Amino acid sequence: MGAVAVLTGEVRAEGVGKTIDETTLLLPTDVSADPGECIVLRGPNGSGKTTLLRIIGGLLVPTTGTAMIGGREADERDRAVRAAVAALLGAPTTYRDLTLVDHLVLIDSTWGGDPATSDDRGLALLDRLGIAHLDDRFPHELSSGQEQLFRLGLTFSRPASVVLLDEPEQRLDTAKRQVVAELIRERTESGGTVVMACHDPALTASLASRVVDVVPAR
Amino acid sequence: MSKRKRPALDKPAAEPTAPAPTAVEHAGHAEHAAYDQGTLDPTAYDHATPAEVDYDDHNLLGQADWVIGGEAARKARQQGLYAGYVLFLGALVYGLPIVQAVFRTSDAASLGDQLRSPVAIALLVASVAALLGAVVFAGRFRGPVVPPMPWIDLVLPVPLDRALALRRWWRYAAVGGLFVGALSGLTIGAGLAFAHLAGVVTIAVTTVAGAALGVLATRLWLWSQVRSWPGPDRGLSLLWRVPDALRELHAESLRAHSANTSTMAGSALTGNLRTARLALTRPVRHGRSARLRPGRPFGVLVRRDVLGLRRTPGAFLSGLGLTVLGGAIVTWAFTQPAAPSIAATIGLLPLYLGFGAWAEGLRLQADNAGTPSLLGTGEVTEAVAHVTLPTALTVLVLGVEVAVAAVLGSLPVGAPLSLWLVLVLIVAGNVLAAFRGSPTFMLRPQMVVAWYAVPALTVVVLGSVVAVLTKAGNYTWLSVVSWLVYAVLAWAVSKVRRLTYQHRA
Repeated sequence: MGAVAVLTGEVRAEGVGKTIDETTLLLPTDVSADPGECIVLRGPNGSGKTTLLRIIGGLLVPTTGTAMIGGREADERDRAVRAAVAALLGAPTTYRDLTLVDHLVLIDSTWGGDPATSDDRGLALLDRLGIAHLDDRFPHELSSGQEQLFRLGLTFSRPASVVLLDEPEQRLDTAKRQVVAELIRERTESGGTVVMACHDPALTASLASRVVDVVPAR
Repeated sequence: MSKRKRPALDKPAAEPTAPAPTAVEHAGHAEHAAYDQGTLDPTAYDHATPAEVDYDDHNLLGQADWVIGGEAARKARQQGLYAGYVLFLGALVYGLPIVQAVFRTSDAASLGDQLRSPVAIALLVASVAALLGAVVFAGRFRGPVVPPMPWIDLVLPVPLDRALALRRWWRYAAVGGLFVGALSGLTIGAGLAFAHLAGVVTIAVTTVAGAALGVLATRLWLWSQVRSWPGPDRGLSLLWRVPDALRELHAESLRAHSANTSTMAGSALTGNLRTARLALTRPVRHGRSARLRPGRPFGVLVRRDVLGLRRTPGAFLSGLGLTVLGGAIVTWAFTQPAAPSIAATIGLLPLYLGFGAWAEGLRLQADNAGTPSLLGTGEVTEAVAHVTLPTALTVLVLGVEVAVAAVLGSLPVGAPLSLWLVLVLIVAGNVLAAFRGSPTFMLRPQMVVAWYAVPALTVVVLGSVVAVLTKAGNYTWLSVVSWLVYAVLAWAVSKVRRLTYQHRA
């Protein structure tokens, strides 16, 4: 990958909004997060939370305002931004011919993880998520809740200073939501920044450093 | 409302048989009379249960046709005849000249000997087997009998003979298979005869053989469709028991095949091949216990592809079959002076497709374009890693075939160089195909077809030019074309970058 600047977890989105043709997806909104913080985006369906997360992740260009990650423009084409941001925004495409643990080993290896302990790390993460017994299953053999846990596992298995999550609680029961909350808490306690959209008041109350209300355009 | 002619009702739809419970028969006639007068309460039903009810299947089908399609159904059938007429004209105008060009050579006697050699016969048998295998494969998700959804939902539940209810779609396919097979045989036989490689009798022989192959292929197609759904009667005897095969078709299976047809058509028209690929490929279940060995990023990506092929033996074997076939033809074209120049053109397509069957990792990388990155490698490095395995396998197959050619005959100096250019083209073409993205123009079928064909056409056209220049020994122009080949590779790399980042809008 070559030399890539390591960005801190500072997230600054100032007045970012998105309009396509005549349709406003997101009204100008401010989000600011520092390392160690968990910012929860709250708002009704269609208010633009996912759009805001995509802008912060550099996947979408805002129509108004600017979004920065670690002092650089949030642009997914920038290797440094890519290295800094791990995101679960929708369903990632998985390899239909790799098992769950194979996926984690692949991701770990491409980020330079120690090959001697790569398997252990993958299995430990699956264990944390409560799906270690499914390690040799293929992704299409999972239930929707197990699939969500696996997607979270993929996101948390790679190093990142900023983690963006779009409703990580969806399709999970109460116990599994607590597991996810614990993973997010660990990430922030170790100096990472988490920005997530969330509809679960209990999860929001237990994790949020600050809540940003996203106002729907109409 | 269109003016539709309702078929004559010869008999009531449901009529009891002997020993006739006359009360039921009268009730049936009374019901029809009440329906005609519009006075029947549809919720009122005589629950008397006769021992047996005899249905006039033809009459019921006629009514269903009238209700669903009216005159349009008959017109649709006539369109099938018109399609056959167009196909015949196409074979006459394009097929014959192409086949003549295939066998046109400066050394007809030598080519004739080679075509009668055991190797050529083995290749012919392998090609026919591959064709039949492809038909069986296709029948798993799209068989020859695929009625429209309303027919499946509204007509098939009626208790009429399923063989009769589905016979129409089977006949379309059966007649089509017979016609296409005979026409292909006629075209090939006529081409051989016109090129003075065989006598006129060959035309009749190849026509009959083609027709027989068409019939066999269509029946295998139906057999495979029957086998796509569990049931008691799945033996090979269904090949000659067509009505029984039609009766074995489950409504849910027909619905799945009809849905698959819609998925394929929709994917083709919108240029979204991923949807069709994921919907139609069989879920992976093999090699679960094998593990991906961690290591350096590039190596682990290559090992991912090796593991992927181990877990999808069908993809490995189909890639091997296509590459061996295409590689043999291309190697023959480059090493044998008697081989017609167009042989390389024919061999390039299976070679290109064989490489593609081994390049699932490349397509999955392209599928992931536009999503937050999970892997820590750059896009070009990842693409290079994903073409490493298919390239190595193709080199292996081509190497063996060149070695065989060298042992059996001569190996011209230019042949290895030209094969290298072909290999570069095959790699570049597959990268272009994987990273073609979505069409950005107004969707018209002709434009979408052209858009699909660009990577394969690039490979076939440039590869054919390489073959012609190699046979002519024109190395000056060959060096010019080699730059074009590398330009295609550069274009493919730029497509990788463009698709990876174009989503940010």
